[in-house]
Amino acid sequence: MKKIDLHMHTVPTISDAYFSFSLEKLIEYVKSAELDAIAITNHDIFDLQQFNEIVEKLECAVFPGIEINLEKCHVLIISENENLDDFQLKTQAVSEKIKAIGDSITVEELINIFGDLNNYLVIPHYEKRPAISGDTLESIWDFISAGEVDSPKKFIRMAKDETEITPVIFSDVRISEEMRKFPTRQTFIDCGDISLRSLKFSLRDRNKVALSKSEGNSLFQVFDDGQNLSTGLNIVLGARSSGKTVTLNQINKDCENVKYIPQFALVQRDDSNYEKEFNADVARKKSVFSDKHLAPFKAVLDDVLNVDLGINKRKVEDYLATLLKLADEAEKLDAFSKVTLFNESQFEIGVDKVLNDLISSVRQLIENIEYREIIDKHVDIKSLKAMACELIELLWSKAYERKKKGLVNDIAKDVKSKLQLRTSATQVKDVDLYKVLIEHKKASRFNEIAQLLQNEKVIFEESVQGFKVICKQRAFEGASEIKNVSGQRVAFSDAYREYSNPFFYLAALKGNESLTPSEFYKYFACIEYEILNRDGFKVSGGERSEFRLLQEIKDAQNYDYLLIDEPESSFDNLFLKGEVNQILKEISRTMPVVIVTHNSSVGASINADYIVYTSKEIDGKNIVYRRYAGHPSDRELRSIDGKTINNFQVTLNSLEAGEDAYFERRGTYESIKN
Amino acid sequence: MLISREGGHMKALKIENNQGHFVTEAGDYETVDKIDKAVLLRLVNMALEDGFEIDAFDEEKLKNQAHQIIYKSIGEKLTDLHQRRNQFRDESDRLYLEAYEKYKG
Repeated sequence: MKKIDLHMHTVPTISDAYFSFSLEKLIEYVKSAELDAIAITNHDIFDLQQFNEIVEKLECAVFPGIEINLEKCHVLIISENENLDDFQLKTQAVSEKIKAIGDSITVEELINIFGDLNNYLVIPHYEKRPAISGDTLESIWDFISAGEVDSPKKFIRMAKDETEITPVIFSDVRISEEMRKFPTRQTFIDCGDISLRSLKFSLRDRNKVALSKSEGNSLFQVFDDGQNLSTGLNIVLGARSSGKTVTLNQINKDCENVKYIPQFALVQRDDSNYEKEFNADVARKKSVFSDKHLAPFKAVLDDVLNVDLGINKRKVEDYLATLLKLADEAEKLDAFSKVTLFNESQFEIGVDKVLNDLISSVRQLIENIEYREIIDKHVDIKSLKAMACELIELLWSKAYERKKKGLVNDIAKDVKSKLQLRTSATQVKDVDLYKVLIEHKKASRFNEIAQLLQNEKVIFEESVQGFKVICKQRAFEGASEIKNVSGQRVAFSDAYREYSNPFFYLAALKGNESLTPSEFYKYFACIEYEILNRDGFKVSGGERSEFRLLQEIKDAQNYDYLLIDEPESSFDNLFLKGEVNQILKEISRTMPVVIVTHNSSVGASINADYIVYTSKEIDGKNIVYRRYAGHPSDRELRSIDGKTINNFQVTLNSLEAGEDAYFERRGTYESIKN
Repeated sequence: MLISREGGHMKALKIENNQGHFVTEAGDYETVDKIDKAVLLRLVNMALEDGFEIDAFDEEKLKNQAHQIIYKSIGEKLTDLHQRRNQFRDESDRLYLEAYEKYKG
């Protein structure tokens, strides 16, 4: 396996922050990182003279290259280390075209300048910003050897995906005098000799590239001292003050796009404040949900609001009473009251809602585009149109009839009122029985709907890692609950007495003038939005933190690394062993996860892929911090400087306070059990 | 709907012996001047059913003037309702249907 870094900067350009190049640092970097090949790739420039100096001083293979602004993205063009004058000429043509920030060349210009791109190694920023666009990618697809990524997570994702191009990860470092640390982003490649042709050949096969020298993609180098970590799940063990948190901090600093959950980050230091915040968030979601759920009910209520069954009842009674009274007076009727029109009833002229609805339904069938095929399959559009026309004509004639009847009603009313002035006979108080009946139906349907709404029922449910977000509807349990919902200082106790009959209850609400009718819909059913724990109870303070931890871990999917410092300091063992271990394990399949712990529930139960044991050691007069690392099954963990330590011993010491304590505890548990 | 002893529908209102009558719950007839709220409601419900029938108002047959007034008014109203019974059914069946189905489900 050869280790290569084909993307680094040695000349500051308009696309970089200023730095002063140091050849010494470059030599040091190549040596310490044990690189077999590098490429010099400055932004839109190739400095032949500097390149020659570098080649002279370095022992590894050095390729001339350039990082070009191509259609707003960055592409590496790397050449064989030969015909340098020709390469310089070509790169000069690029430099001439890109002089200011934001300048870039087109694919056509690129090909014009370099000719056959097959003679070069072409590597665009792929999963790295500014990433190549789909169109540009397509137009240079045939020449691309690999795609550059900026994290092990992305590297592995692409390496696993057969449909992707081969991933490479490079440092993209500015070699400057001020460099204190060396980058750890390089690619291992399985190739024979180090030539451009050989590299190109190997890059055709994704299985020939890896993040580590001998462990494929399961390890990657995290620190410049050569420290590796697993690309899966790592646990960091060690005594207090041995450098565990320091290790996490360093990863956080050295790597990009890291999700770091520090120790105690999720403990509620200010419980009441935190609860308030948590509840406010829940309330906001609830209100959105509640309004959505109640919207159809609100529409019903707004219509029913105008229905007054009491008045209707009175109207019917008045009608009957006046009718009977008039009949009683029949013998005494005078010339005025004997006129037929005197007791003529009004034509009933309600709007024909059903016909209106029907017409709009037919129109929908005619006009719908989305389901056109199905509609056409079953019904002939011509007949639909004919039907719509007939219905509309009917509507017109009915409207015309209604108009005429309205006119007649006006005349009759006028005549009646004039006759009324001249006679002592009782006039029948007319009633629209149809309207009375429909309104009665409205009230009873309203009751049904409101009662459906008061049935305790889960209307929405979502599982979030063992927790459940639940939306429930139920009846209010008392007037005070309604008062809370209303947010007003109005007493609901009088109205609440009628609560079991929603229509009466509505009438009682109407009777209270300090209430706003547009808010009535909120007072019929209680909508609850809750986060429940696994037992179905409301979350406690501690569980709220658990919920947040799980959310935070879930959020880590948007990052390239996840670091957690001592989750046990905030949570109990069962929670950690269950949900947390499970979700961490899952997430570690797609990205490196590093957990600092000395809790056996996390450390021993999670089946980590890699162990790092930090140790503070006295070496003569000096204090030395060492990291020993290895796979959990290894007998020994190994430090960078070649020292080893017994894996079993340190694991038991860290997680169980030593072998003796472990067996003693086991004995204690056995005796409790017995 | 009340069924007569002969097996036919019983008329909700009928004219007999110059008097107007309405059908009682028991299937007998009473004179229309005895109509009260409860009776009216029952007649209204009958008018919303199929097979509702009344004797047409006829001044010649119905000599009693008081009965004329009552019979004519209530008869017209019930007939009108009966004619609109399908509209009434459609309208009440579709009343708030969307909301009803949402909360029912």
